[in-house]
Amino acid sequence: MKLKLFVVSLVVLLSFSIAFAQEDTLTVPPIPPDSALLPAAVTGLVAKDTDNDHGHAITLKWQPSADDGAGRQSVAMYEVFRWVPDLMTRIPALRDTLEYLKLRTGDGWSPPEPGSRTDSIHNVFASLDDAQLEERKESLEQTISQAIRDLPAAHAAYPEDGDWQQVAVAPAGSATAADVGTKEKDTPDYLPDYSDFYYRVDAVTADPAIRTASEIVGPVQSYGQWFNKGRLAVSVFVLIFGLLTIFFVQHARRGADLYVRPMAGIEAVDDAIGRATEMGRPILYVLGLGTADMIATIASFTILGRVARRVAEYQTKLIVPAYEPVVMAVAQEVVKTAYYDAGRPDDYDEDIVFFVTSLQFAYVAAVNGLMLRELPATNVYMGKFFAESLLLAETGAVAGSIQIAGTDEIAQIPFFIVACDYTLIGEELYAASAYLGREPILLGSLKAQDWAKAGVIALAVAGLALSNLAVAYDWSWASSIVDFFRVVD
Amino acid sequence: MKKSTLIVMAVVVVLFLLSWVLKASALQPEQGSYILRGFLVTFAAFLTLAVMSFLYQDNPFYKFAEHLFVGVSAAFWMCMGFWTTIVQNLIPRLSTSLADYFMVPQRPEGLNLFFYTPVILGILLLMRLSPRGGWISRWPLAFIVGTTAGLNFIRYLRSDFIKQISSTFVPLLGTQWEGIGPFLSNLDLSASGQLVLLLSNWVVFLGVFTGLIYFFFSKEHKGAFGVGSRVGIWILMITFGASFGYTVMGRISLLVGRITFLFGTWLELI
Amino acid sequence: MGKRHWILLGAIVAVIIIAAVLWLFPKERWGTVFSLLLVFGGLVALLLRSLYAKEVERRIIFLFILVAVAAPILFPITFTEKPTAVVQAVFDKIENLPSGSTVLLSFDFDPAMAPEVQPMANAISRHCLEKGHKVIFMSLWATGQALLSQSLSDYILLGFPDKVDGVDYVNIGYKAGNEGVLNVIVSNFEKMFPTDVNSVPLKDIRIFDDIASAKDVDFIMSIGGGMPGPKEWVLFVGDPGDVDVGVGVAAVVAPQMYPYYPAQVIGILGGVKGAAEYEYALKDAYPVFADMDTPGLRMMGPQTLAHIVILSFIVIGNIIYFRGRRERKQ
Repeated sequence: MKLKLFVVSLVVLLSFSIAFAQEDTLTVPPIPPDSALLPAAVTGLVAKDTDNDHGHAITLKWQPSADDGAGRQSVAMYEVFRWVPDLMTRIPALRDTLEYLKLRTGDGWSPPEPGSRTDSIHNVFASLDDAQLEERKESLEQTISQAIRDLPAAHAAYPEDGDWQQVAVAPAGSATAADVGTKEKDTPDYLPDYSDFYYRVDAVTADPAIRTASEIVGPVQSYGQWFNKGRLAVSVFVLIFGLLTIFFVQHARRGADLYVRPMAGIEAVDDAIGRATEMGRPILYVLGLGTADMIATIASFTILGRVARRVAEYQTKLIVPAYEPVVMAVAQEVVKTAYYDAGRPDDYDEDIVFFVTSLQFAYVAAVNGLMLRELPATNVYMGKFFAESLLLAETGAVAGSIQIAGTDEIAQIPFFIVACDYTLIGEELYAASAYLGREPILLGSLKAQDWAKAGVIALAVAGLALSNLAVAYDWSWASSIVDFFRVVD
Repeated sequence: MKKSTLIVMAVVVVLFLLSWVLKASALQPEQGSYILRGFLVTFAAFLTLAVMSFLYQDNPFYKFAEHLFVGVSAAFWMCMGFWTTIVQNLIPRLSTSLADYFMVPQRPEGLNLFFYTPVILGILLLMRLSPRGGWISRWPLAFIVGTTAGLNFIRYLRSDFIKQISSTFVPLLGTQWEGIGPFLSNLDLSASGQLVLLLSNWVVFLGVFTGLIYFFFSKEHKGAFGVGSRVGIWILMITFGASFGYTVMGRISLLVGRITFLFGTWLELI
Repeated sequence: MGKRHWILLGAIVAVIIIAAVLWLFPKERWGTVFSLLLVFGGLVALLLRSLYAKEVERRIIFLFILVAVAAPILFPITFTEKPTAVVQAVFDKIENLPSGSTVLLSFDFDPAMAPEVQPMANAISRHCLEKGHKVIFMSLWATGQALLSQSLSDYILLGFPDKVDGVDYVNIGYKAGNEGVLNVIVSNFEKMFPTDVNSVPLKDIRIFDDIASAKDVDFIMSIGGGMPGPKEWVLFVGDPGDVDVGVGVAAVVAPQMYPYYPAQVIGILGGVKGAAEYEYALKDAYPVFADMDTPGLRMMGPQTLAHIVILSFIVIGNIIYFRGRRERKQ
């Protein structure tokens, strides 16, 4: 009799404990009565750190269930579960409280609406005074940061004190999914790196209650990579281009004669200076609206040096209105050097280069006025130009000057082309400056760019041929070469 | 001042006042501040006409409008720069009391001493105004130039260089080459058809190819290379022509916008 | 024949023409017909003058453009616009996104550019809202924020009284920093925009529940034409974040966007023409928008006439140039 009682009570206790255990793992759905309806589980589940990222993400791969698209065809989707320690689930709640305390201790606090989530927190803290609140806030802040620090340890305690949580869903037919978290510690989907994660994938039928879990995989850790292999093409080009530039600059420094083809616009400058001398009228040189650190302005300085030298030799008048104080200072230096080089330091006048204003349209108005009063024989516009390009060039054309322009602002080139006699298009401006100045850095980088362009032509032709042939003859190796240029992130 | 100038001035002033009175009376008084709104509409119309008068010839009204515009925009951008950059981006990261003073919300990430770096660099940049310490401003400038160059280099290399190269890998013979017979029999001449697609693919390829040749400076443009370069400059010129055409459209749109304002909001003809 | 005879002849012809117009056309067409006659009559007269290599004064050209632009505004002329592939692509993208998707619209322009790009911004906003997409409005231009708020309250939302701020759309406004802003929001919105324009924290806005960064948005449309603008969206968000980007640009920069089509931008609306085509496609697909104000389509009348005038002047100018050259040779 005693034994019977003992067994019965044991059975009752056991069933209770099972019921409690089931209560604990509510996220695992109850086993359906008819196990014949259960879909086959996914097999070969593998979890790995996601490649080419900054960490905080895990990629899962599996073989689809035998009942997915085949067999009973009952699988509707896959649900990915991750084992999450209780500590991690507690953090958002702690953070809500902290948020409340911050608001409460800050200015402009007003009691929350009754019945809201904040209100329930408010009820707990309503009676505390400011000092106590402040104290609570600080201790809570410490608790949260300690909890975040403890996350890896909590993960390592698997399967104690934790639960399965759904982290991703994949449609039927898929064999991969990613669990992507963030690196921001104060967001709910923060995923700590170097923590042991455990995963399982459920094959779920149209009735979400009917499902089969896979085997559990783990531990797996996420971590960041130093290199994103998807961007290999970018780094290859950076390296090649950088090396080419260094090589050619060194080459030019050693005094190698690097050929640059002559350009019509530059040849025209000499003729135009001659014409100005014959007519006894000045030459106007506009450096544009760029600052002294822009490549177009730097290129323009070199050309200005050349023009100023010729002007000094022919003893013509030169006018250089400047838009920017620093540009003015550099331009003065450039013109002065040119006059010295030409052997006419006495002819140099400080007022050749002068400052006008740093306001775009006010500058235009001033230069336009200058053009109509002084009637220069030649106007040279080299540098960075914006909306003022046509206003300047049109006035110059009305004044009957010969006009030579050059800019790397693509949007302004059409205006210069219609209104000027010669235009240096885009890169020609840099090339002209390298051609005239023979400066090793400019010359070297120009050469490197030329090689890069030749490389692009070769790559474009080869890539084009390969991609066309790959389509026509179904060559997979050819398309893999083509894919090298498709930069992935 | 010439007599004729005075007469023109007087006429403009009278017209302005007339427009103001009429406009104010035309606006519904119940919406309030109709005198002010009448003035604003009239003043906007006056400025529009003043700027347009430059097309006839330069005149004091145009100069007035231009200077007003320059002054107002300089002031506007200065205020904008202060309130959006310094007040909204910087102050909430530096100091609680300053953030409260300017009534901007604190940043969620809280205060960070790291943000004093831009303050220091900013002050160094302002050293440019000092005649003796001007050279100091070169350090923050070097920082700006260096970081932007680095940041942009990668972006441009990827978007404007590598992705553009891969964009030139276009099918030149159609998506599936099965010989000349099927090609001709499947030929579609409509605007979205295969032939037009192939033609545009050829234009893309030849345009890139010859355009690059034109900008190749290490070899004189003679012979076959010269032909390529000439085709390149033609393609460039066609591009600039298209660009110019688009610009004309853009400018006409702006004119339409102004005239719609004059006829609609001001004169209420439409 | 002397000068007086010519004037008399001209007056008689003018009277006959006026009488003919008054007799042939209904009253509401008189304005249109007379302005067209004025423009084209003037052009023919200038063409005849050009045969004698007589130059045209600049101000005459300005006057012609003014009349050509003003007349169709006063007496509207409208055309049908068949959407081109680049515009249709943007339309189809918005149309084919499932209802409830998130679309980001960036108003990257200032009042000076507004007449050109505002029509397309309005049309696209309406399309997104009608389709039931959740729309995030923002601006990279300080001056764009005022325009954005104004067009939201004055035009866009008028047709959608039941759309709720924060649920169906949100205006997060402007932040200084140009492409720096884009560089941040491609990984995190909240870092750059802690609140929307009404100072509501982003985390309390329902649209942002599952939108952490610009990468999570289904479609981005940048409308602008300067710097920063559409190009920066492609470079700093579209390409690195692998998000579909469409652009609506001022006509001046439209040609510069074409190299990015179709790999890096899915479609381009170039200037008023692009806006007009979009408006037409929208009206065609949605009867709700039948009475919608279509500034883009309205602007195409003045555009067409002005373009004809400009083309004529190109012809006239060339005739004068070549005639003049021949005379100089003789």
